[in-house]
Amino acid sequence: MEQLSQISNIAFWTALCLYAVAMVFDFYYLGFRREGAWKIANVLSWAGLAVQAVSVVTRGIAAGHLPWGNMYEYSSIVALIMVAVEKLVVELRYKVRTVAGFVLLAAVATMLIAGTALYRDPGPLVPALDSAWLMIHVILVITASALLMLGAGVLSPLFLVKVRQERRGAAAIGATRVPRGESEGATADDPPGFEPGADEPVGSASMAATATATVAAAATAPPGAGSPLLAKRGILPPSETLDRLAYRTIAVGFVVWTFAVIAGAIWAQRAWGRYWGWDPKEVWAFITWVVFAGYLHARATAGWKGTRAALLASVGFVVVLFTYYVVNIFIVGLHSYAGVS
Amino acid sequence: MRTALILLLLLAVGAVAGSLIPQVGISDDKISQMFVDHPLRATVYEATGLFDVYGSWWFTLIYALLLTSLAACLFPRTRALLRTLRTRPQPARELDSMRLYVERSVAVPPGTVLDRSANILRRKRFRVDRVGGAVPQVAADKGIAREAGSLLFHWAFFLIVIGIFYGKGTGFTGYAVIPEGTTWTEAHANYDGTAREGRFFNENHTGAQVRVEEFTVVYEPDGTPQEFTTTAELLHGDGTSAGTADIELNAPGSVDGVDFYQYGYGWAPVIEVTDADGEILFSGPVIFEQDRAPKGISQAAMPWTGAVKLPSLRPQVGVAFRLLPDPETALVSEMTDEPIPVLKPSHPVLALRVFEGDLRLDVAQRVTELDPVGLQERRSGIVPLGEDVRIGGGVTVSFPELREYTVLQVGRDAGVGIMLLAAILILGGLLPALYSSRRRVWVRADPAPHGSVLKVGGFALQRRSEFEEEFARLVEAMARATDHASAIESETERT
Ligand code: HEM
Repeated sequence: MEQLSQISNIAFWTALCLYAVAMVFDFYYLGFRREGAWKIANVLSWAGLAVQAVSVVTRGIAAGHLPWGNMYEYSSIVALIMVAVEKLVVELRYKVRTVAGFVLLAAVATMLIAGTALYRDPGPLVPALDSAWLMIHVILVITASALLMLGAGVLSPLFLVKVRQERRGAAAIGATRVPRGESEGATADDPPGFEPGADEPVGSASMAATATATVAAAATAPPGAGSPLLAKRGILPPSETLDRLAYRTIAVGFVVWTFAVIAGAIWAQRAWGRYWGWDPKEVWAFITWVVFAGYLHARATAGWKGTRAALLASVGFVVVLFTYYVVNIFIVGLHSYAGVS
Repeated sequence: MRTALILLLLLAVGAVAGSLIPQVGISDDKISQMFVDHPLRATVYEATGLFDVYGSWWFTLIYALLLTSLAACLFPRTRALLRTLRTRPQPARELDSMRLYVERSVAVPPGTVLDRSANILRRKRFRVDRVGGAVPQVAADKGIAREAGSLLFHWAFFLIVIGIFYGKGTGFTGYAVIPEGTTWTEAHANYDGTAREGRFFNENHTGAQVRVEEFTVVYEPDGTPQEFTTTAELLHGDGTSAGTADIELNAPGSVDGVDFYQYGYGWAPVIEVTDADGEILFSGPVIFEQDRAPKGISQAAMPWTGAVKLPSLRPQVGVAFRLLPDPETALVSEMTDEPIPVLKPSHPVLALRVFEGDLRLDVAQRVTELDPVGLQERRSGIVPLGEDVRIGGGVTVSFPELREYTVLQVGRDAGVGIMLLAAILILGGLLPALYSSRRRVWVRADPAPHGSVLKVGGFALQRRSEFEEEFARLVEAMARATDHASAIESETERT
């Protein structure tokens, strides 16, 4: 057991290092679009995922229960899910490679906090926590947190950054709608190949037009117009893509969060005889849920879609972080009680 | 939508306030402390309902407005959905201005093209209408689930409100303190403290009974309790048995719709007091309690204390007890006043102090404590398990048995089923509301020299990139089914 727990720890730190190195290559790819850099990053991050999966599994065996019993264990899985979703969904399904570095940054930060401040040796569960519904509740909360952090903490802020760049670029160059340029790469990161206006209420034509205009103009812009990197390629994916990715991620996160809250209520009913009691964690779970419901509505509301909705997502991200770290660690409610009486 | 959005955000802000300010029923100590430290602020908070945010008039107002605006939005949407369900897919006037539009030359005559295309669409679960008239065409649509799911999801919030008010209104909660070997009856007077009863509850207590046979705690090596089990026989209100149950954390017992949850436990020494003539003055298990541990001290180390009041003696006598795990620690504790945890007492001892005077039973007081005002301490002593001690005036105190008591949280909430249904509807509605999409397809066929020209147009209101792929697949299937006269057979086989 002792040995397994050590293996788990070594694997954890190995994965962290792999992610960190992969992140460097991903950022290099972001800046200079060298296919080789992305390939290295790709191999490293998949290796990191595999090693981290080993860490989680061995940890579970060492502790003798499902490996989500404390903050260290939660955080490890949160990071794992963020990277896995980025790889499987963002890169493979949506063919967007350029956000990988940011996601890895978030994962590495999460793991650093987990591996230092939050680390605990594996141990038994306190009795109140030993219940199937609770285990379901917790893994759902972890999954949803990962998705919401990814969507609202990484993708949505990148969208905001990109929108600003596009506005500035458009202003600097003069926004005229130019026919789309030829596609260079196979990925959706390269704006010329991107089909705007593709999805969901936010598909605001003006934004798409700006994106197209910026990119097309960037290709012909004199050196020094706008940010040099932006002028060269527009280093981030088009705002449209970022917005759609953020929305999709958050929407799934919202569904999972909803399910998590329901599972939690079912557990609370079984354990304490009340499905809801406004204890601090319940309150913050509720706030998180309401804020993201607000985000989903905002994306469908005239005057709120786009930037304002994204700002709401950022608020949601802060709420998720607060719920995850501050409420979990500092605000003690029933959820952390270790026994009765 | 904007109103809903703003009200949702207000709801969130209200909830934040409730989490930052101590709330009634959750952190009462902090509230009283605030009244001492910041009386003005506390008074303002009190007046504005900030100590009870989730029950305050303004929080209620926010969600009442939210629900009103929701209803105002849902009625027309529901009516529109029902209308859509009744009407057939609408024909289109022009196809070539659609977002997606494709023409293909195919080998079969126009009528066959339309028949076969309609079949393909039907097989893909579109609603299909074959429209005749001047411009024959196939009109098809799909994805009503999106709107239906969204409506289901939103309507379910009313169910939640109904579930809460019905459950709380007709239900109750309270705590039952039950020593081993005794029976507790579910009735208003028998609750520890006061039971919270719903507005429409009407004293419908069930008379169900719990006969606690045994209570067991399993400790970890370091003394933290690991498992608690109340083994009890449950009896219906009419006295017939409902079987025995092991009530544990995460495993409540239930009888007559009343649920029993393991909540707490403690020591209940059986104490017997007799007078000089051997007449019994008191006999039975006495509930001992611990004070709440101050910061830095483990709750397990807090002493267990209890009291027996003997109002029939003149002067009145009260005996205060303290439970100690064995005689040695009793001695140490008497001398050093150090806290001694009582986990698994091997030779338990009761330390007692005898008071005489006025018990002041006409003043409200706790059963487990003496009111020191009218009393003077006369003597002290100890009585080990199975022995007795004289406390003067011919009175004898004996300690024949050490039992435990269990604290069960007792409650009935008939709204739980409604809440569960609402939860299922919410999830079941949310998925199609987010992942289905409303899309329409039209097919026409113009005659051409060797067959006809297949014309397909369509658009989706949501998930457009997914629809582009679906549209391409549909057109492909239609073209394949119509590219030569015999295609219909092979086409049917293929799908
Ligand atoms: C007064 C209250 C409300 C009104 C008027 C309202 C209105 C609407 C409307 C009209 C839509 C459809 C948007 C569209 O598909 O274009 C919608 C979607 C939605 N609503 Fe509400 N809603 C209300 C309350 C809530 C509440 C309390 C929640 C729960 C947190 C909620 C969660 C959602 C979700 C998740 C969607 C789907 C968003 C999407 O399709 O992207 N709504 N709401």
